[in-house]
Amino acid sequence: MSGENALAVRGLQMRYGALRVLEGLDFDARAGRITALIGPNGAGKSTAFACIAGATRATAGSVRLFGRELAGVPAYAVARLGLVRTYQIVQTFADMTVLEAVTVGALLRHPRLDVARDAALQVLERVGLARRADVLGKALTIADKKRLELARALAAEPRVLLLDEVLAGLTPAEGRAAVELVRGIANDGISIVMVEHVMETLIPLADHVIVLSAGRCIFDGLAAAALADPAVIEAYLGRP
Amino acid sequence: MRRYLPVGAAALVVVVLALVFANPVALDVLFFMLIYAVLGQGWNWISGYGGQVSFGHALFFGCGAYASAVFALHSLSPWLALVAGVAVALVLAVGIGLPCFTLRKHYFSIATIAVAAIGEIVVRNTDFLGGSSGIEMPIEPSSLANLQFSYKLPYVALALLLFVAVQAATLYFEDSRIGYYLRAIRANQDAAASVGIDGRRWKLVAFAGGACFCALAGSLYAQSTLFVDPESVLSLGISIAIALVGVVGGVGSVWGPALGAVIYIFLSKYVAALLGGSGRGIDLIIYGGLIVLVAAVRPGGLAGALAPLFRKRKLARRKLA
Repeated sequence: MSGENALAVRGLQMRYGALRVLEGLDFDARAGRITALIGPNGAGKSTAFACIAGATRATAGSVRLFGRELAGVPAYAVARLGLVRTYQIVQTFADMTVLEAVTVGALLRHPRLDVARDAALQVLERVGLARRADVLGKALTIADKKRLELARALAAEPRVLLLDEVLAGLTPAEGRAAVELVRGIANDGISIVMVEHVMETLIPLADHVIVLSAGRCIFDGLAAAALADPAVIEAYLGRP
Repeated sequence: MRRYLPVGAAALVVVVLALVFANPVALDVLFFMLIYAVLGQGWNWISGYGGQVSFGHALFFGCGAYASAVFALHSLSPWLALVAGVAVALVLAVGIGLPCFTLRKHYFSIATIAVAAIGEIVVRNTDFLGGSSGIEMPIEPSSLANLQFSYKLPYVALALLLFVAVQAATLYFEDSRIGYYLRAIRANQDAAASVGIDGRRWKLVAFAGGACFCALAGSLYAQSTLFVDPESVLSLGISIAIALVGVVGGVGSVWGPALGAVIYIFLSKYVAALLGGSGRGIDLIIYGGLIVLVAAVRPGGLAGALAPLFRKRKLARRKLA
């Protein structure tokens, strides 16, 4: 498990007044791999994503994307540098059709509308939304809205993709399809960092697991070892 | 190219109407419909497509009107005044947009009211701009070079030209990157940023572009009335009228402002005249009722209500192809 770091997070700290959400988070995500970020509710997973993607400015710390410092870079510029995120609570463009919404993502790398639209159609084909291309985003089911989010992010042709709970709330069959999709994206060489609650789907998928608890990293290692780690068990289930 | 056909059709309708109803009153109504259609479209770019509702667009209308008035007063070419009006509107739009676009939604709207009010007060207290009593423009010989004519038809023709240009620009705008980006920003600015969209930059472009249209409309208005004062071009009432034209017709649609302008001008010019002295304000009551109706039943505006008819045809055509 060697190789270049796609993402290097060091001492990431986020405080809202006296509330400490992240207390010096450190982790690496290797290029071309799937890194899972898990942890109990309130561990700071989504906040970590927001800080990494530039949506919220971290109180302190450093995030490097293939060596380039992202601290202080606004969200839109982070996306241009190749790091794109999805949201835990889906953020569809309600009154745009599926194709239009994904085209918005594709326009980042293809400024010409017709080229972007073709690229978007290919992405829709890939995530299995092509049949729904002309449907409004707000009319989709939850599973399809999550696919739409993923498609929009993919269309922006990221080098690193942050997926915030793309598996949550899916039926087992939808979940399996989504897992295959994520694996396929990783095989194309896109580095993935995913936040997830569903441990059993995630463990076989991820190459590398980071466990967060109360704003700190309490485990960093191979996926299989995470489930046996006493600190992880304690964070999830409490002290025996 | 097919997308641009309706613009030609609309222009043809205006030409026919102008030739059939060749009396000055009807031409005046037509002229104002075209001017307000342009103003509404200038508003529509940022407030309709971009979702940043402005109640200060009279300021840009005023830029054009005052540029023309001041240039006329100093015997300078009205064509240069067009350029000057657009230039001032551009500078103002960027100057207002840079700080104000960090504000979201209602806070932006409030800021536009405040900035436009400041503009009006500044003009009222500037002697060079005629203060509160305004500027009467000297009458020049009727010619294209002077942009003054002794009859109404050329003004209608010029307004039509401007309207056609603005509609064509909007059709292009809607089907290109900026149109998609603005709709994405309106829907969800944070999600838009997550795929690389610099919200402030694109809002600025739309704001500045729309401001140019409003300035050109303002110049044309001044050339036709030859009188400009703060009340008639800079007041909050004008800003609200511009916004209402956009809302009634349908926000974020190419034909919404034109539709809104036809209804607004028709009501304000004809209903008031029809009811005579006893009916003062009735047109406003009808218009207000219409807005309430649109807001309650068809938030997409009248163009939004008609759009499904056209969309069905478009889908059918795509299936055939």
